[in-house]
Amino acid sequence: MRVLIVEDERKLAQVLTAALEAEHYDVVAAPTGEDGFFRANAEAFDLVVLDLMLPGRGGLEILRALRQRHIQTPVLILTARDGVDDRVLGLDLGADDYLVKPFAVAELLARIRALLRRGRPSDVLRLKAADLELDVVTRRASRGDRPLDLTAREFELLEYLLRHQGHLVSREMLAREVWREPRRATPIDNVIDVQMTRLRRKVDADGSSRLIHTVRGVGFVLREGEP
Amino acid sequence: MRWWSTASIRLRLTAQYALVLSLMLIVYAAATYVAVRHEFYERLEDEARHGVDTSMRDLEVDAQLREILVVLAGGLPLVVALAGAGGYMLARRALAPIDDLASEARRITADRLHDRLSVPNDKDEIGRLAAVINDTFARLESSFAQLRRFTADASHELRTPLAVIRGIGEVGLRETRTPAEYKDAIGSMLEEVDRLTRLVDTLLRLSYGDAGTIRLSRGPLDLGQLTREVTSSLAILAEERNQRLAVDAADGVSVTADRLVLREAIANVVDNAIKYSPQASTIDVRVRPGNGRASVSVADQGSGIAPEHRERIFDRFFRVDEGRSRDAGGAGLGLAIARWAVEVNGGRISVEPGAKGGSIFRIVLPLAAPPPGSQHDHAIHGSGGGES
Repeated sequence: MRVLIVEDERKLAQVLTAALEAEHYDVVAAPTGEDGFFRANAEAFDLVVLDLMLPGRGGLEILRALRQRHIQTPVLILTARDGVDDRVLGLDLGADDYLVKPFAVAELLARIRALLRRGRPSDVLRLKAADLELDVVTRRASRGDRPLDLTAREFELLEYLLRHQGHLVSREMLAREVWREPRRATPIDNVIDVQMTRLRRKVDADGSSRLIHTVRGVGFVLREGEP
Repeated sequence: MRWWSTASIRLRLTAQYALVLSLMLIVYAAATYVAVRHEFYERLEDEARHGVDTSMRDLEVDAQLREILVVLAGGLPLVVALAGAGGYMLARRALAPIDDLASEARRITADRLHDRLSVPNDKDEIGRLAAVINDTFARLESSFAQLRRFTADASHELRTPLAVIRGIGEVGLRETRTPAEYKDAIGSMLEEVDRLTRLVDTLLRLSYGDAGTIRLSRGPLDLGQLTREVTSSLAILAEERNQRLAVDAADGVSVTADRLVLREAIANVVDNAIKYSPQASTIDVRVRPGNGRASVSVADQGSGIAPEHRERIFDRFFRVDEGRSRDAGGAGLGLAIARWAVEVNGGRISVEPGAKGGSIFRIVLPLAAPPPGSQHDHAIHGSGGGES
């Protein structure tokens, strides 16, 4: 999978490159709008991560030019302004998703995975990790032979963690995807933490190896072994 | 006419006064002259009737009349000039307090906003003007104080996480540490970054709110339903503290509001009640219509809020307990956001002491016609109620 990152902020470009390379993507970084447009036009990419505020040729302009040339590579835009106008304009011009800075790298990776998966429905209805199993249809979950008695919210939370197993999920992602809160406010953060503690008590109960891990300052991850 | 608009009030008053006076004097002098003339000629005719020879008297009378005319016409400018000078002095006396007021007001700057104008006599016009200006200064002073407090608080809240991040980074780099220690340091830095991010988000949102650049999507919504939604999502926090979250919401209480924004206001108030109520206490949440208004009240059994804090509790960064740590109390923006969120939806938020201790937070909004989709569905759908 080849990903083009168009970002003028050197440090951010380096971090994003490192993060994507760690996930085994083939990454090309373009430091200017011109360079980004030239590469996106000339080479084949599976995805473009595009900053909107670029010196010279702005992100929106590049996006418009690409779409006019019928280059349909998925584009994820990065913006520091969360005004509705920018977002709508970007999506209208053919961007596939957007993230507002400062975003969590975990979230960027999740969005990229989702964009690359698009068009190929991978709706797995039975999810598994070690001896933890979850059936989306019958809404039953079990750890080994032990059935888990989960509330509706706990079930959704576990399903989300399982669908992202091995990958970090941030509190923002959980607030939006599991609690369907468009904004991450203080109350919801506390709710997430309490809910996670309870879920962990049920899933990682007595003797079983730990599956749900907290990564301090970032979020949570469901994974066998060390986080 | 240019000088007219730039001349001082004193000059203008004097000029107007002199003009009016001259007109009056001209009329008066003309009338006097006509009357005297009439009298003279009548007397002449009288004398002629009695057989006196008036041929010489005729000339005499004409000369006398001419003299009177000269005195009247010549005296006019003199009288006007004298009266004008008097008027000028009077106007100056009357307007002097305004000049004093202006120079007093000029001394009051942003740094000396606590100064007030002296009010020698609060019954006259000048006194009333001074009182109005003083009132304006008082309001300016209080908003300046608020702004100053906000800036101080904001810089404290923004700089503290920065100081923590910097400190952890510097200490972490000072000597070689184990990977676990590095992980711990980085995690701790990220926690501060997270706190800073949320703070900046909230402050930006409040400032967009102040600037009026937030677009709301207001529509009819069922306040009871919204409140139940909020309490059920926060119930888990009350459970952790063994508190009872009792919700008593009347049906069909409809308001026109932006759902997400109002939801945040209710969530912050309920969260606040949970946080500041003792373990195993009850929090009463009530939704009621009445008098064209809808209200959500949240009554807790906490320690209550002192009267002097009741006004400021909704201020940005205000914390009743200054010493409360950031971890426990948040940044002190929850209720400020709640107030903003209620007010942009045309409502008011207030706090009052509860009957049995604790506080009652009350959100009051104008009542709207019930929304389509509530139990009044059938009545409204036929008359073209849209989708909500």
